Amino acid sequence: MPRWGMVIDLEKCTGCQACTTACQMENTRLPGENWQDVLFYSEGEYPSGQLTWLPRPCMHCENPCCVAVCPTRATYKTEDGFVLVNWDRCIGCKYCMIACPYGVRFYAEEKQKTQPDIREVFPASGDRVWDPPYQMPKHKQDPTHGVGIQPKNVVSKCTFCYHRVSTAPPGTKDLDPQDPALREHTPACVVTCAPTARYFGDLDDPTSKVRQLIAEKRGTRLLDQLGNRPQVYYLAGEKPAIPETRSVRENAANGA
Amino acid sequence: MTRTAIIGFLSQNLDWRKKPDAVSVILMLVGAMGFGIGITYVLGMLIAEGHAAFNTSSDMAWGAPIAFYLFFLLTSSGLSIIASLDTVFGIRVFYPVAKRAVFLSIICLIAGFSVLALEIGRPFRMLWSLPLGMQVRSPMFWMGVLYSIDLMLLFVKFWLLHQKDWHSRLSHFVAVLSFVVCILAPGTLGLVFGMMAMRPAWYSNIMPMYFILTGFTSAAAFLLFFTSLQSREEADGGVKTLYDEVLPRLFFVSLLAVIGMRFGQIITGLWSNIEGLEASWLQLRSPLFWTEIVAGLLVPTLLMAFQPVRRLPAVQFLAAASFMVGIFCARLEFLIAGQRVPLFRGHWAGYVDYWPSMTEWMLVPAGFGLLLLLYGLGNWLLRLGDRPPQHIAAE
Repeated sequence: MPRWGMVIDLEKCTGCQACTTACQMENTRLPGENWQDVLFYSEGEYPSGQLTWLPRPCMHCENPCCVAVCPTRATYKTEDGFVLVNWDRCIGCKYCMIACPYGVRFYAEEKQKTQPDIREVFPASGDRVWDPPYQMPKHKQDPTHGVGIQPKNVVSKCTFCYHRVSTAPPGTKDLDPQDPALREHTPACVVTCAPTARYFGDLDDPTSKVRQLIAEKRGTRLLDQLGNRPQVYYLAGEKPAIPETRSVRENAANGA
Repeated sequence: MTRTAIIGFLSQNLDWRKKPDAVSVILMLVGAMGFGIGITYVLGMLIAEGHAAFNTSSDMAWGAPIAFYLFFLLTSSGLSIIASLDTVFGIRVFYPVAKRAVFLSIICLIAGFSVLALEIGRPFRMLWSLPLGMQVRSPMFWMGVLYSIDLMLLFVKFWLLHQKDWHSRLSHFVAVLSFVVCILAPGTLGLVFGMMAMRPAWYSNIMPMYFILTGFTSAAAFLLFFTSLQSREEADGGVKTLYDEVLPRLFFVSLLAVIGMRFGQIITGLWSNIEGLEASWLQLRSPLFWTEIVAGLLVPTLLMAFQPVRRLPAVQFLAAASFMVGIFCARLEFLIAGQRVPLFRGHWAGYVDYWPSMTEWMLVPAGFGLLLLLYGLGNWLLRLGDRPPQHIAAE
């Protein structure tokens, strides 16, 4: 059984937001409800100011506090590493949104960030939030794994494209979108990433590409001090995008 | 036969032949009006717009309804503790208020649960998914379990008191159990917030204590508020001592404890510089915070500080009402403070602004209306001033 994880190389990421758009299209999200987002930060002032950015999907943590706080076990962790929401169990208490340190959970029943309200443009019959003309095929929609168009009043989040990855051939250690046989099993954000800044593979296999990258390029997890142990690793290189790597770099520079 | 039995049962247990007093009538009328207007508006908006009628967002996931829920539930637990002072610890001076406190505790829970039901996305699903989920690692799960047990025990306790069973083994057993649960329940509610290490404005191992203490103070204020409405002219010595001296003093002392605790929280928040605690500085600009400080702490403390003044029902009413307004705002400010700094993005992305929508504010008349309506009914029909016969004889 693989334990899927992602590596994002910040030295290659251009902040183009193609991943955000691909995720929106793949998972039929509402405008602004970015399961996969790119956060932009400006740091410093002219003439030494700089703009940095950080792609941020759900971290699919090894020890996720969103799972621990969910009173109904609607949020759960699978053996192969996904953190998912069972929409048929979720009561919409939003405790997971309070507890997720990475702020990557969403509740659609709020005032929409863009107008017109797209839910009114494409209203759904029954319990679903909306019914857009372009959406994931019905047979792939799976509320027990939080995949597809969600019902009203439940929490949603990135699934690592569970509907794609879970059908990968057994024994696969790297989901490389360059391989035509694996492309349809690779998360949409990885497939679409033009500078190939994203890698997806088995974190438990020492020979997988993701493991090699983490080892060779000093893979870093965000907010590691909170103990959630994310399964998304960042390769920061010399970029100052991740606070976690600054002290490491400074110590290295000082010969410590 | 069944109908006769029901009528017999009701006549035996409800004083419905008694003419309601003016206070009960006014409370019932005001309550029915507030509840009617509030609930009609809220339900109408929820049907029309869903939870988008609230000003909550993915950054401010918990809004005013949760704060109102906190207010009612913590007050309920405090009332239950006060009721236990006599029924568990035998502090006899509290006998005259025990039954009233238990009743108020029950209706506070009902009001709190009703407000929560309007906030939760799928409240009816809770009925099966909570017990089937059994997520014992979740403080919210335990909160649900403990408050459900709390409500059941309070019903049993009230029923026993209503049957004039104050001292049987069963009555004592239920009272002790109820006391344990009414400490654990608000403590667990404190943990719902206090365990959140990712939200520094809430993260604290004394949060359960803070919740229990402020709930207790709210309860003292509630009792003073409602009992100051009743005439004490014909009350006997024990009742007069309780309402004129003991209860106001208890309120005053617990106010001092709250002030001490809040001072510690505020000064720690202002001094510390960890991300998330900027909320402490931001709240200095919030009207909710200053309402808490002035109306919730300073005014009632000053009014209750002097013995000759604090025994006056009008002063008690004013102090209690002022505290209730203050603590109500404090609950809301507390809730907002924990969410003002967006998780992970931090202050770089700006702070989260939030003010409740009209729909959320209308939960106030809905919740308080229900409370007043039920209290008026109870005050009329349920002999809330009952005491054990031995206590009356001892006077």
